[in-house]
Amino acid sequence: MIETVNLSRKYGQLTAVDDVTFKIGKGEVFGFLGPNGAGKTTTIRMLACLISPTHGTATVAGYNIQKNPIQVRQSVGILTENPSLYENLTAYENMDFFAQAYGIADPADRQKRIQELLEFFNLWDRRNDKAGTFSKGMKQKLAIIRATVHKPSVLFLDEPTAGLDPESAKEIRDLMAQLSKHEKCTILLSTHHLEDAEKLCNRVLLMNKGRCLLIGKPDELREQIVTHPIIQIDLTQITNKILQALNNSSHVQEINTKPQETSLMISVKDIRMATPEIVKTIVEADGQILGVNTFRASLEDAYLKLIKGETETQ
Amino acid sequence: MNVHNAWLVFKKDWLEIKRNRQVLMPIIIVPLIFSVMFPIIIGIVGNIPDANVGNNQDFNELIPNLPMDIQNMLADMPPNFSIVYIMSVYMFAPIFLIIPIMASSVIGSDSFAGERERKTIEALLATPISDSELLLGKVLVCFLPAMAVTFAAYGVYMLMIDVMTFGMFGMLLLPNITWLIIMFGVTPVIALCGIGLTIMVSSKVKGFKEAQQISIVLVLPVIGLMLAQILGLIFLGPLMLIILIGIFATIDIAIYYLSIKMFQREEILAKQ
Repeated sequence: MIETVNLSRKYGQLTAVDDVTFKIGKGEVFGFLGPNGAGKTTTIRMLACLISPTHGTATVAGYNIQKNPIQVRQSVGILTENPSLYENLTAYENMDFFAQAYGIADPADRQKRIQELLEFFNLWDRRNDKAGTFSKGMKQKLAIIRATVHKPSVLFLDEPTAGLDPESAKEIRDLMAQLSKHEKCTILLSTHHLEDAEKLCNRVLLMNKGRCLLIGKPDELREQIVTHPIIQIDLTQITNKILQALNNSSHVQEINTKPQETSLMISVKDIRMATPEIVKTIVEADGQILGVNTFRASLEDAYLKLIKGETETQ
Repeated sequence: MNVHNAWLVFKKDWLEIKRNRQVLMPIIIVPLIFSVMFPIIIGIVGNIPDANVGNNQDFNELIPNLPMDIQNMLADMPPNFSIVYIMSVYMFAPIFLIIPIMASSVIGSDSFAGERERKTIEALLATPISDSELLLGKVLVCFLPAMAVTFAAYGVYMLMIDVMTFGMFGMLLLPNITWLIIMFGVTPVIALCGIGLTIMVSSKVKGFKEAQQISIVLVLPVIGLMLAQILGLIFLGPLMLIILIGIFATIDIAIYYLSIKMFQREEILAKQ
């Protein structure tokens, strides 16, 4: 649905996007991760035909961004960094304008679609209020409605949950999941909320300083970048017998103890296989277990490690 | 080009303008002042019986340029009647050309620069509306209100003049052929010229006020025309007006093609 080949964009001497190549399939939710200035927004703007690449090319919804910009714009919806709403127009007037601009000619179809989306976000009762009177979260919801009003086959969302309360953020995540699942909409999600990326994205791309660092499933990236998962075991006391037994176990990679505490932090390769075996080993070494917790490194850990590594190498 | 899309941009912008006093007030107040104040001035002058056209240097320069039958008619009139006639029919006519330029400058400055300032431009440029449709929509939203207020101002002025002077001359002074050519010929081409230039400026500068300051300079040629007529350098009779229409129409066409060529979505976004 989206394919870029060596997509690049320079502003004078500054390379904002540098030879980025990736493919996104139909109905996929694809995360764009990276710090500020990584090139995420510039890439989205090129794909939405708002700016042109200085090198490379891309196709979106089957159309080349350089040769068929109008068809590309027709097929995509975009949520920009700003809600971009006309504050003197009502919520309904805003949506009606964009629905017509995106080619929904039949007034009944427009009304049905706008009502459906406004009701989804509990904004139907406020349809006749000027957008300027809406709160930040409500404006963000309206902006998402604007981006999806024409049922685009590709949706670009730049920080959709930024500044929203948890309930509103969840509504937006639910809508994204629904669009991807039921309407087979391809979503390119640029976000700093790694939790969103982890929950929603089939794959993510990590960008820094205009370059693509890694592409893969969140799980794969986590495992690729971060060290092994950890099992925390709280005991009544730690004995040499227990430590010796654990050191002999093939599942154990590393053992750490917390100072002043009777807890063991055991690094393992495969948490599902290792946990019962390690518990069994401790019990057989006469250990009395008070509690067992497992920790998987989050995508955030992976992200931070990778970005930090990048900065150190440069 | 899909005219429906251009009309859509017009409707959206017009709705916004109607609800924006900062834009709406100047385009209503200035024409209102022109159309009401000028007849009042003329009315006051007409009631001064010893007003003498012969003592007025400006009118002395203008009168020899008038058609011979008008000069003969003025020679037979009392001095204050001559002044009323010249002021009503000739002197204020070019001043009214300031109205479409002023109105289009206020609305046109708000077009791209205003959208950029209010951060609505990115979503608009992301729609499938083409460059020419977008430009046409922006031109229409300047042109139609500018023409509407100008025609309203002409209407009020002519009505007041005719009511006030019918008793003096026993006939309706306005509209005459000069005013009809100015209204239906010169006004639209001058308005389009102002709109084209203002929109070009608006797409190149950062803010609404910056665009307005630059585009208001367009009033200067019109003031120049008015002064040239008063000083007797030109006479805005039918022939001169038709020549002006030709000149401005040519400039309009050139501006239209130049605007399309210079319209760069990317540059408009980059100014944000």
